[in-house]
Amino acid sequence: MNFNIESPTSKEELLNCLRNHQSGYFRLAAGFTDLLIELKKSKTEELTVINLSQIKDKQFTGIDIQPSGIRIGALVNVAQIGKNQSIRKSFPVLQQAADALASGQIREVATIGGNICQASPSGDLSCALVALKASCEILKMDGTIRHESLNDFFRGPAVTSLQKNEVLKSIVIPANQTNKLKSGFIKIGKRSAMECSIVSISYHFQLGADAAILHSGIAIGAVAPTVIFCREAADFLHKLNVNKIHETDQLKVAELIQQSASPIDDQRASAWYRNEVLFNSAKSIFEQD
Amino acid sequence: MDKNLNIIGKSKPKLDGKERVSGRAVYGHDIELPNMLHARILRSQYPCARIKSIDCTKALGLEGVKCILTAQDVDVNRIGYKRDHPVLKKDANCQRDEIAAVAATSKEIAAKALNLIHVEYEEIEGIFDPFEAMKEESRQINLHGKGKDLYGNKNIAESFHYSHGELEKQTKRSKVIVSRRYELPRVTHCCMATSNITADYSTMDGRLTLYASTQVPFLYQRDMAHALKMDPSLIRIIQPVIGGGFGSKLDMYPFEPICALLSIKTGKPVQLLYGREEEFLASPTRQTMIIDLTSGADADGKFTFREVRITMDNGAYTSWGATTPFVMMQTYSSLYQVAACDFQAKAIYTNNPFAGSFRGYGNPQATFSIERNNDLLADELGLGKDEIRLINANYPGEITGQGLHFKTCGAKPALTKVIEASNFIRKNREKHKGRYLKGVGLASMLHVGGGAKIYRSDGCGTRLKLDHYGYLDIITGSSEIGQGSETVLAMIASQELGIPMKHIKVVNTDTDVKPWDVGVHASRTSFVAGNSLLGAIRLMKQKLDRKAAQLMECEAGEFLYENGLIKRDKKEIRIDKVAREMHFGSPNELCIVEYFYEPESSFQDKQFMGDVSGNYAFASQAVEVEVDTFTGNVKVRDVYVSQDVGRVLNPMGLQGQIEGGVATGIGYALTEEMIYEKGYLMNPSFHEYKLLTAVDMPDIHFYPIETLDEAGPYGSKGAGEAPLIPTAAAIANAVSNALGIEFLTLPLSPEKVLKAWSEKKQNELANSQSI
Repeated sequence: MNFNIESPTSKEELLNCLRNHQSGYFRLAAGFTDLLIELKKSKTEELTVINLSQIKDKQFTGIDIQPSGIRIGALVNVAQIGKNQSIRKSFPVLQQAADALASGQIREVATIGGNICQASPSGDLSCALVALKASCEILKMDGTIRHESLNDFFRGPAVTSLQKNEVLKSIVIPANQTNKLKSGFIKIGKRSAMECSIVSISYHFQLGADAAILHSGIAIGAVAPTVIFCREAADFLHKLNVNKIHETDQLKVAELIQQSASPIDDQRASAWYRNEVLFNSAKSIFEQD
Repeated sequence: MDKNLNIIGKSKPKLDGKERVSGRAVYGHDIELPNMLHARILRSQYPCARIKSIDCTKALGLEGVKCILTAQDVDVNRIGYKRDHPVLKKDANCQRDEIAAVAATSKEIAAKALNLIHVEYEEIEGIFDPFEAMKEESRQINLHGKGKDLYGNKNIAESFHYSHGELEKQTKRSKVIVSRRYELPRVTHCCMATSNITADYSTMDGRLTLYASTQVPFLYQRDMAHALKMDPSLIRIIQPVIGGGFGSKLDMYPFEPICALLSIKTGKPVQLLYGREEEFLASPTRQTMIIDLTSGADADGKFTFREVRITMDNGAYTSWGATTPFVMMQTYSSLYQVAACDFQAKAIYTNNPFAGSFRGYGNPQATFSIERNNDLLADELGLGKDEIRLINANYPGEITGQGLHFKTCGAKPALTKVIEASNFIRKNREKHKGRYLKGVGLASMLHVGGGAKIYRSDGCGTRLKLDHYGYLDIITGSSEIGQGSETVLAMIASQELGIPMKHIKVVNTDTDVKPWDVGVHASRTSFVAGNSLLGAIRLMKQKLDRKAAQLMECEAGEFLYENGLIKRDKKEIRIDKVAREMHFGSPNELCIVEYFYEPESSFQDKQFMGDVSGNYAFASQAVEVEVDTFTGNVKVRDVYVSQDVGRVLNPMGLQGQIEGGVATGIGYALTEEMIYEKGYLMNPSFHEYKLLTAVDMPDIHFYPIETLDEAGPYGSKGAGEAPLIPTAAAIANAVSNALGIEFLTLPLSPEKVLKAWSEKKQNELANSQSI
């Protein structure tokens, strides 16, 4: 595995780097937890890796809390997200997804930007962020910023809208409009760590004083070419009391969620299994323990 | 040996623990010799193919490439238990087949050279199903196999038949008979350290030094010499720290003579290290087996007979793993009292990778089938799962149908203990409702506890050297592969000679230095090496006693050894002073002794009858699971382990063995499986091969049973393999208890469990509608 590596330390150096390599073969990486495995199996002679991990710019490395929402730099690692008190309080779904990702060791180096840009349909953070209706701030080579909802950013398995002259700078999650929440992440796999989701469901409901669902987000992972936002299910739940969702409505939600999925057979599980488990897990969201 | 023990029985951390966890330990991967070359192996592109040509011209032209070997470049003997395994292959018979090997000045160049070797293959449709392989019209898979002459079928690699009792009579008097076919998956050891070897051949004196991760250095030395057509005494085996064995290093594999050959050809040291993917592809596995078992019991619940037919997928070549029936037949014949047994096992050649030996050695598979059938027999008789086992439990003094003599036997105490501790009787009858269903399962096991006389000697040699300063070297033939036996040896010496642990060193890594031992297997090391050490200590004490008596001017006889002193009444002398005086005083001798211990076990006769082990280990486990009926996930909540270990030597070390074994057993039951499609391994990584992690581990409750068997050191028995043997059976029984569903295969993957649960629910629905 021989390749060139460049390690910009600031936004300016990064932009320069991008400009210099536009005509060549380059890859961006920060935590390297996915890229190195991929490179072991591919030819790397002509490759330049732009190593983002040395960039000190706060826009890339910080978690910035504003009244309008929270901005997470693309280089923030997964462990930081899991430990952040504001995220823990306002976006439990994201914190739970972060804590469920891979293992403690990997969470210390893998970044949120990397997890998103891999565009894996089973990406844990991606699933939570789509449910949270997060958007991307993409830095273009000319220094301008392009905004795009994360849902639109994903175009297929391992495919995003990111162009060769762009780099993901940060993710913005809009602030909650109410303080009462029902928010969580369900991950189905075969073991409790180092696991790629077979099915995942993220849900984030903002509740009114009477526990009515005012704003809802539901996303599912590993059951379609991309993470999917379940709009019909989210709309259906509007204004329902989160504590008193009737069993027939629970089944309806599970059905709507299942309808937005298009799972396939692969080595980890069959489409049949994914469908069943998606339905059962979706049903369980509103079950009172 | 009833005396006050102040070291034995008290927890001691492993001698090599600090080195291992701090990174100071020198594994095979850490070895660097001057001018060392790096080797890589080119493996077959197809699981089954004729090789028409191999062109190494381009690869040889690459700068840094020093040597390339193919089958036609070497003059070697075939290897393996049946000598049916060419070191380098002329044709491909499985995916891991070694076609060529490169030695180069760097790992990168060696890897590059592999890509430049051009092999022209003619692919042949492989045979991957053992039943297919046994058909008359199937072609002969291994051309060196002697199946046609020996067993009447060209694709049978090995066959065993054993029986005792009157099968027909026992079948007739059975009230219930249960027949099932079980299929057990292929799993692998997942050693933390990948396979490795460094070979250093000297063109000066023709001697070959191998830094090799083997469990059996003296058999390995002999196998290597046979393969290379060398004199064994010219081969020195040095064992670096071994990062996991679990049986995987019982055989010598082709990569090892290949690396030696590269060193011989180049006259330079050569190192060969596997990557993780190669480790999955090319290291041994547990036997996949299809077991047809019929078991009977009479009206009182007494077992009447077992009739079993086992079909093992041998893969393309035969390793020691093909002899797992030796162990399995003990389990079928003697786990619980059985009046009659008829056992047949065949290892069948296929184009799958060859299986090797793995902790438990066939016993987890055998135990799984027996203990599943036992639950079914209990159900049919209306007996409790605990009752049927207690009725039939082995007992002290029993001589089984196969001739195993249980001079001590903790089977019943172990069963009783886990039944009580787990609240088995209540929990087994409880019915649960809702999403999460709990269940509890029980299983027992029998395994050798005092070595196993399979090879011509099951012995171990020990040399002891006490230096002028009171420090002791234990030079033992036995090896440490993580099981903790070297710590036990140091504890024994400290106990007996009164020398502090920190003054004791265990030397056990060099065949030029250490005396002979058959190797680490059959849970034998603490037993055999411990007895050997005690023998050596007796000799050393005789020497020291004589000298001490002379120096203290008192009568000859036994002394007390304590805190570095040799004492009697009010007289005492430092042990180091005695050693010095032995050397410098008349008759000028060193405080060195040597002892060889051979267990009193006997060989089996041609009908496999005989008492092969110095003693026998018994264990029971009760497992509580919780099944998520939404996902099919099985969560093991608690494992209750009770094991007859004879005597606990090092509680901490034993606990480690128990927990490690149970972890492997849970993986075998629930998640681990090598997935093959037409001879290709589909999941050669930890990403897709689901080895469980630390956070998946349940609470493990351990209750040792001490039967103080006189054959073992301080009454102890072998303990290493036992803890994983009944785990999968107990889990499967627990899942069946939770769901009311029978499972005939492992692993109990979430998908398999959910599918069975969905079918059950649909059937129930259909039945209720039809009523």
